[in-house]
Amino acid sequence: MPLEATMMIIDNSEYMRNGDYQPTRFEAQADAVNVVFQTKTDSNPENTVGVMTMANKGPEVLVTHSKDLGQILQAIHATSSKIGGQIDIPTAIAIAQLALKHRENKNLRQRIIVFVGSPLEGQAADEKAMVKLAKKLKKNNIAVDVVCFGDGIEETTEDGRSVLKSFVESTSSGDNSHLLLVAPGAHLLSDVLISSPILSADRAGAIPAELGGTGDASGPAAAAAGDQFEFGVDPSLDPELAMALRMSMEEAQAREAAERAASTSNQNTSTPSAQPPAAAPVAADPTDDEEAALLEQAIAMSQDVEMDASRPTADAADDADMDEDEDEEAAIARAIEMSMKGEEEDSTPKK
Amino acid sequence: MSTIHEGDKSLLEHLDIRQINCLNESEDHPLISILSSKTKNTGGSYLLSDADEQLLLNIPFNQTIKIRSLVIQSSNPAQAPKLVKIFINRPALGFEDVEDADESAAAQIIELTEEDTSNGNPLALRFVRFQTVNSLHIFVSSNQGGEDETRIDAIDVLGVPIETTKNLNELKKQEEN
Repeated sequence: MPLEATMMIIDNSEYMRNGDYQPTRFEAQADAVNVVFQTKTDSNPENTVGVMTMANKGPEVLVTHSKDLGQILQAIHATSSKIGGQIDIPTAIAIAQLALKHRENKNLRQRIIVFVGSPLEGQAADEKAMVKLAKKLKKNNIAVDVVCFGDGIEETTEDGRSVLKSFVESTSSGDNSHLLLVAPGAHLLSDVLISSPILSADRAGAIPAELGGTGDASGPAAAAAGDQFEFGVDPSLDPELAMALRMSMEEAQAREAAERAASTSNQNTSTPSAQPPAAAPVAADPTDDEEAALLEQAIAMSQDVEMDASRPTADAADDADMDEDEDEEAAIARAIEMSMKGEEEDSTPKK
Repeated sequence: MSTIHEGDKSLLEHLDIRQINCLNESEDHPLISILSSKTKNTGGSYLLSDADEQLLLNIPFNQTIKIRSLVIQSSNPAQAPKLVKIFINRPALGFEDVEDADESAAAQIIELTEEDTSNGNPLALRFVRFQTVNSLHIFVSSNQGGEDETRIDAIDVLGVPIETTKNLNELKKQEEN
């Protein structure tokens, strides 16, 4: 949980009108700014965050050292009507540096996060000038993170170098600065950002283990590397969503199992011809059957959920498969039992 | 040069440890490692510069003091500080403010010799300029051997505290009596 004063430099050039990131580049960036602000201020109550723009008429500081989300949102909203011009990274960084220098609490370490969604031009494209600027930042104990998206993603030379990469590497002291490239795609800019090394230090330990947090720095980064979660969502990001997804999954499986069981029992007792499961409800009586089966399942589900809730979700991910197997078997057994009873006496006693 | 006056004592006990910071210090050898004991450092830790040879030490105190002399010690003669500019009460100082500062902007500019730094001789300051010091800022511009890294092993500040009730530690002691 680093004690930090952060200055976010956002891109508000014409390139930000592009819609290759959902809904537009600028909106995606606004979302990311929001996420960074929340993460930084949640990580330590003394942390401050500021926002400035670097395009339009010239770099402009919108918010200095704030802990108030409202100010950030207002600044972004005001900027959304002032999109235009071209970015000027070196000037913007120099201004951010000044803003950071005059922070009230000198204990806070300084950090600049630059969002780049436009191609580099002028001095920013000159590797030597940028490395010189990086050295100056390093000397002033300022860490710099760069988030590249859209046109900000540079073409690398043969040996994999780019201007911003050398810039970040020259600034980094003790691996405190990072470069993040986010290509357009189905994922949100803020989702990629939150699981990146840029925020991992702030997120480590911020989420308790029982909510699916990792408690150690390697967690989010490692999870991001895996990129394949059970339902395509990182359970540690949104435990409730993960829980809801898992519940609906189990429900669907139980329903399928019940249908299968109902159709097989139909085959055994009434018609010898093979009937597809979907056609099973054609018979008049199974409706009551099904209702009872579903009720039974619902009760079982709610018990399951209670069990799930009392247990850390991090573990749940591991033995989810086992659970599902058990559930499936149990559901089939129950369904068969139910349907057998249903055949004998139509009105089953309800618990 | 030995100008140790009667009644002068080390003022490091009045350091405001939490607010100490240093620009261009290396990750492994920070300024805090040689000041955290609130006495002149005699252990193995030292302060080393990072990106180049310059250093900017910001040393705040928790009460107003008068500084008569300063000790800057380095065990490696080539990496010892040479040109040093001293400022007082300028909490928001950056390299761009101090690089071109002349005698009028700085409280004092001193050129150290190898002898001063290896023996830890007290350097007499212009006492009149250090009468009400709340924070001391030492800018190391260059080192003796033109090395890339500057090393400082120990710092000591000698002088007298101005009598105030700002020192809460003493206040508590009296309450106990």
